[in-house]
Amino acid sequence: MRDFLVTFETFFNNAIFYYALFVMGSYVLLTLLSAIEMSGYMKKNSYVNYREILVSPLAPSVSILAPAFNEEATIIENIRSLLSLHYGNYEVIIINDGSKDSTFQRMFDYYQLEQVNFSVDYQIKCNEIRGVYKSKLPSFSKLTVVDKVNGGKSDALNAGINVSAKDLILCIDVDCIVQEDAILKLAKPYLEEKYQVIATGGVVRIANSCRVEDGKLIEVNMPRNLLPRFQVLEYIRAFLMGRMAWSRLNGLLIISGAMGLFDKNVVIKVGGYDQNTVGEDMELVVRMRRYMYEQDRRFKVVYIPDPLCWTEAPADLKILGRQRNRWTRGTIETLWMHKDLFFNPRYGVLGMLSYPYWLFFEWLAPIIEFLGLSVFILLASLGHINWEFSLILISMVYFFSVALSTVAILFEEMSYQQYTKGKDLVKLLLASFLEPILYHPLTVFWAVKGNIHKFRGKNNWGAMTRKGFKDQHISTETEQMT
Amino acid sequence: MNFFETFFDYIKETYTERLLYFPSNIRVSLLIILFCVVATLELYLYMAFRRLRQANEKLKFEKWQEYISNMLANLIIFDESDKTEDIVGHFYPKMKKLPLRNPIVNKLLISEMLVYHKNFTGKIEEVLSILYRKLGLDQKSKQKINNRNWEIKIEGIREASEMGISEIASEIIKYTDDENALLRMEAQAAYIKLSENDPFHFLDRAQERILDWHQVVLFEIITKNKKLSIPSFSKWLHSPNDTVVLLCLKLVEHFMQFDAAEEVERLLKHHNSRIVKKSVEIIGKLELSDAEEHMFEVYFDQPEEIKLEILNALGKISSGNYNDFLSSRIYSNHIRIKREALYAIKRDPEKGESRLRELYHQTTLENQALIGHVLDNRIKS
Amino acid sequence: MSKILIAEDEVLMLKALEFKLKKDGYQVDVASDGRQAMDKVRENTYDLILTDIMMPFVGGMEILSYIKNDPIKNATPVLLISAVGLENIVLEGFRLGADDFIYKPFNLNELSVRIKRYIKQNVF
Repeated sequence: MRDFLVTFETFFNNAIFYYALFVMGSYVLLTLLSAIEMSGYMKKNSYVNYREILVSPLAPSVSILAPAFNEEATIIENIRSLLSLHYGNYEVIIINDGSKDSTFQRMFDYYQLEQVNFSVDYQIKCNEIRGVYKSKLPSFSKLTVVDKVNGGKSDALNAGINVSAKDLILCIDVDCIVQEDAILKLAKPYLEEKYQVIATGGVVRIANSCRVEDGKLIEVNMPRNLLPRFQVLEYIRAFLMGRMAWSRLNGLLIISGAMGLFDKNVVIKVGGYDQNTVGEDMELVVRMRRYMYEQDRRFKVVYIPDPLCWTEAPADLKILGRQRNRWTRGTIETLWMHKDLFFNPRYGVLGMLSYPYWLFFEWLAPIIEFLGLSVFILLASLGHINWEFSLILISMVYFFSVALSTVAILFEEMSYQQYTKGKDLVKLLLASFLEPILYHPLTVFWAVKGNIHKFRGKNNWGAMTRKGFKDQHISTETEQMT
Repeated sequence: MNFFETFFDYIKETYTERLLYFPSNIRVSLLIILFCVVATLELYLYMAFRRLRQANEKLKFEKWQEYISNMLANLIIFDESDKTEDIVGHFYPKMKKLPLRNPIVNKLLISEMLVYHKNFTGKIEEVLSILYRKLGLDQKSKQKINNRNWEIKIEGIREASEMGISEIASEIIKYTDDENALLRMEAQAAYIKLSENDPFHFLDRAQERILDWHQVVLFEIITKNKKLSIPSFSKWLHSPNDTVVLLCLKLVEHFMQFDAAEEVERLLKHHNSRIVKKSVEIIGKLELSDAEEHMFEVYFDQPEEIKLEILNALGKISSGNYNDFLSSRIYSNHIRIKREALYAIKRDPEKGESRLRELYHQTTLENQALIGHVLDNRIKS
Repeated sequence: MSKILIAEDEVLMLKALEFKLKKDGYQVDVASDGRQAMDKVRENTYDLILTDIMMPFVGGMEILSYIKNDPIKNATPVLLISAVGLENIVLEGFRLGADDFIYKPFNLNELSVRIKRYIKQNVF
């Protein structure tokens, strides 16, 4: 037994070491890729005049789809800011997903709506649409309101797709603060890529403590609370580094549910959003990619690093935990639904790279970490731990993650530099020291909890999705780095 | 104090005497730690340095910006009746005195002159063009165009194009078919503005694709530039470069060039479906009723997207020859086809709506709902 | 002395317009984005408003529609500056009650004559 424990300890140390080395190596690679992609984008983009596309009759037409469920407090203002985006040919479709409060009545009164004889072509299955409304006032002619029976976020988006009359659909969370040039920047790749673009995604940034007036972002500030501040760091890392690199590889799997522009025809062909998963945003992109591979068509999913969408991040441990729990479940469900992609060469980058990465890093990494920690505690309690070696290994992971976060902050500094105040920069750098100790263990805990929930109560979910999506502020997976 | 001393001693020992005696994985870990710490510290230094430099540059920039923009704003006080030479004579010495070797000043002056030139017409535009040359800035733009770096080339091309330095059109032409898409587009855009006798010559030699984005930009330039003499674009409709054909189709449509009708009809049989679609659209827009027959001929072989476009075009032409065909479309299995056909019927300004009402009484409930939809003018199609 | 508000996000243009209109003898107020402009419009009364259509935060159209829906201020002439020749924007502008459109590039002296005309009309 003693001998076994000693061998096991050596094995355990080695396992941790090589696993860490592998993970760190991947991150270094991704960082390099994103650096190339970022600098390319910045250089190219500084020569673009977006006004041309704004006025051109040749620009693609866009429908904004924003599902609303119990949003009475902010709906009027949210719609107003959506109507004032800078773009020529677009419409705004608000889908009232059977709200239980006065969301619909408020829209009806303020925008002077009236029902029109809309005959809906149910190209994608969705719950019954009770009515389609337009405003009597000419200044709100871009607005359409769809009133439907409650069915959850995916169902609401599907209803919106059925009503949309444009080529592209911009799916957003209605309470996001959308930058005025968002459509312009997201639509541009559809006009310039050699291959068909099927989707473009935008960055999500955190609006906590920022100054917002009339639904517009006036001043960017670092969140005062530590929890959202950690998320700022997490988002910068995930969006500026992770996704940029995946975009470079043309293997991007998720477009955040808070903001994504899709080719409507392809979305309809694949059957729209899936209602059986809580990770509908990731699942849709995977399905669209699959479809394109199966059709043998060359395509791209593009990602725009500009800060186009700002959202309030959960500042409450309970809500954040719920969000992460749901993300984990969404990841598992998506991976499970498309398990045949695993190292399947038929699906190119998707099957050989993106899928395995997601499986190993997004799903398994927290579990492995959790197991590692448990074994460590077990060994320690048996007195079989070389404390010095263990501490060195842990320090390596710690300092690597601090360095990685610092590089991410450097990317932000060299690109958009949203946090202009020096004080905010220092705060962010300090957060990068605390994050691996304070915040990261929480995310691991939530992820593990999500796994447990998923594998224990398979039947719970239907009910859960139907609850609406009030706390789904940003239904997106941020890649957890280390 | 004591704690720190022991701590530093420990680290020192770990990295010196003891380093070689660790197992290899721990040794590598130690080295990685060292690397990460050093890298992080260096990044801090770099970021701090960068912020300081930024602040410093911003200060300088603001100072010069204030000065230069005030100077240029003085252009406003002159009147149309003042002599051009007098105004130039007033500004030239002042500008000459600026330290143009300073990159900030150089950049600011050029960019501000360009903004004024772009936004104002009349005396201001004229005076700025003269000053630009007198200050030798046109030569600098030319040098930029011959720089090896594509970004700098683009900068030069933009300056020359805005300031109307037409003698460099002949130098720009070689970039209109460059491999670099951005450079190619800028060169094409500038060439249209600058070439005096043949602004569309680049279309003859275009082998590279003109991306959709570039088509948007070129379309804007061509359609908004009042000084440009517009050729008949049908000439390029048989270009082997599909993107040239597409751009020219868009221009034929915009300028309503009826002389291209025959060519457009021919393109209905083109292998590129985007070209077919655009051709159908033009036939509708220009109401080329002679082409109706051809569209009908190809209708049943087309994918849905083009079928929809053909129905739309038939509606725009509204000759009445295909009324029965359009009405029979409501038996199609595809709602989009039905809807488009109904809209096409509605387009007939005299009888359209009454025919829809007639149809309403003879058809299924589902189709009745669709007809209701089509007749509702509050819904934009 | 007649009071004019200029709203334009391009600082250089703003400065040029300010110079010109001051020289023409008006009292000039400036706003470099739509939000500033909106605040000023709410608090003051002007004899004429000259605004760009595309500005950060609040567009010229919103300022226009605020003015034209205000029972007291709705007689204030509003001139929209635009680089945009898109028909539906112009149509929307006129529908919301815009008094005139100025297209970039434009001639400053012509602008000054137009402004004079609108201000005179308003006096009578």
